[in-house]
Amino acid sequence: MAEEKIIKRREFINTGVRFALGISLAGIGVAAARKATTEKWVWQIDPAKCTQCGRCATDCVKSPSAVKCIHAYEVCGYCDLCGGYFKPGVKKMETGGENHLCPTAAIQRKFIEEPYFEYVIIEELCIGCAKCVKGCSSFGNGSLHLQIRHDLCDNCNECAIARVCPSDAISRVPASQPYIIKGDFHGGSKA
Amino acid sequence: MHSRHSKLYALYMNKTTLTLLVLLALAIILALVVVDFMGDRPDKRGENPYEYNVDQFKVVDPGLVHYRETKNIPLGDRVPGGIDVFNEEIFLTGLNFVLVIHPDGLQKSSFLIDGKGECIKATEKNIIVGLKTAVLVYDHSGKLINSWEVENGRTIITSVAVKDDMLFVADAGNRRVLRYNLQGELQTEFQGKRDGNAGHGFIVPSANFEVVVNSFGELWVTNPGEHAVENYTDNGQLRGYWAKSSMEIEGFTGCCNPAEIAVLEDGSFVTSEKGLVRIKVYDASGKLISVVAPPEKFNEEGHAPEVSVGKSGQIYALDFDRNLIRLFEKQ
Repeated sequence: MAEEKIIKRREFINTGVRFALGISLAGIGVAAARKATTEKWVWQIDPAKCTQCGRCATDCVKSPSAVKCIHAYEVCGYCDLCGGYFKPGVKKMETGGENHLCPTAAIQRKFIEEPYFEYVIIEELCIGCAKCVKGCSSFGNGSLHLQIRHDLCDNCNECAIARVCPSDAISRVPASQPYIIKGDFHGGSKA
Repeated sequence: MHSRHSKLYALYMNKTTLTLLVLLALAIILALVVVDFMGDRPDKRGENPYEYNVDQFKVVDPGLVHYRETKNIPLGDRVPGGIDVFNEEIFLTGLNFVLVIHPDGLQKSSFLIDGKGECIKATEKNIIVGLKTAVLVYDHSGKLINSWEVENGRTIITSVAVKDDMLFVADAGNRRVLRYNLQGELQTEFQGKRDGNAGHGFIVPSANFEVVVNSFGELWVTNPGEHAVENYTDNGQLRGYWAKSSMEIEGFTGCCNPAEIAVLEDGSFVTSEKGLVRIKVYDASGKLISVVAPPEKFNEEGHAPEVSVGKSGQIYALDFDRNLIRLFEKQ
């Protein structure tokens, strides 16, 4: 009677272990399949909500910040007087450093034809401070805007900038559509 | 000596002391976490060295504001495009509609149009509506009399003005003013260029480009990239202009201002600006007379309201951001 009991216990333990292993393997398989098939999510800034507070430059765990200024060329007016490039009240619209609004001179002004200029962002220099974005939004067409560059972003579980963003402009978006780029000039009417 | 050390050791190892020390350490850690968390909240943080504060440019001397807002007409879910005031009636166009509104806000009549009206001009006989690439001429019963396309792939019509049988159309996409007769025949067009190759003409960095005819029959066109308002003959010859480029209230700032204009009976101008949204009145020579509505009256970084004026000098502003017609009258 006692021997019969011991055998049953062993069988029970063996069966239990096998069952647990089976469940674990199935669980791992399901998790792997789910990870392979479901959408990944990444952090991104909604330009419509961004208030250009400057926190993207100071609070990103990356140094310099993974947030960079993006230029929507189709929205840009190619103005001689660019509110995102020049400090307010400059005496002459010249490219001298004293006239730059950008603290790192990350915007390059290129002459196209009188009186139009193209403004190019040098991303290596951009720290994502949004000064140019504020100037462009306040005094221009709003073509400059911030985006998180996913080749630089660590995609932290909790984005350090999202935590301090005063306008809740940063949220997770599907990795298949990782950028929220501003619209086009012809799409809107009186901008 | 040995006994003394033992006592000290015993004291040091006293369970109560140890517990207290651990609790103290935990309290300090907790306090540090709380302070760090509270100090990290957006409203508790210090000034950011990178923040660009443009609030100083929004400040307007209250002594300059000679108008007060006296009425609002909400537009509901309609998508507006342009406004004009003629014979004390408000003519409003937008997505698929033209409305005629009595100044008290009651709708007098309406008719449907095919497309979005971007601008409108009412005369004794006609209501002229500018779509993005077409001009529609109606009579006051809403019957379509004539219409034509403005042929060019880049055309963006932003304003229409009428003088006798001449219809001036501002095309922002091509930086030009077209002159038609009311039958839709193109008479002439000009880009504001000076004689020969001198000057670059109209600079239009966004879809804000206005043409108006004042009560003296003078044709005025905005040159927003130059912060200028320019006077042309009917054939497009520049007669004169005034320009005010400044960050101060006396001038225009940004890429594309004045974005909208209207003319008062005495020839002075009502200007409306985008970005730093504000409405002002300038005399015919470009001297600032008064501020109608300072930036605090509008949404931040909003669209320039389209403006039109009534017979007694009241100013109607079509506020796209709040979907309202706003009436400003002299105080």
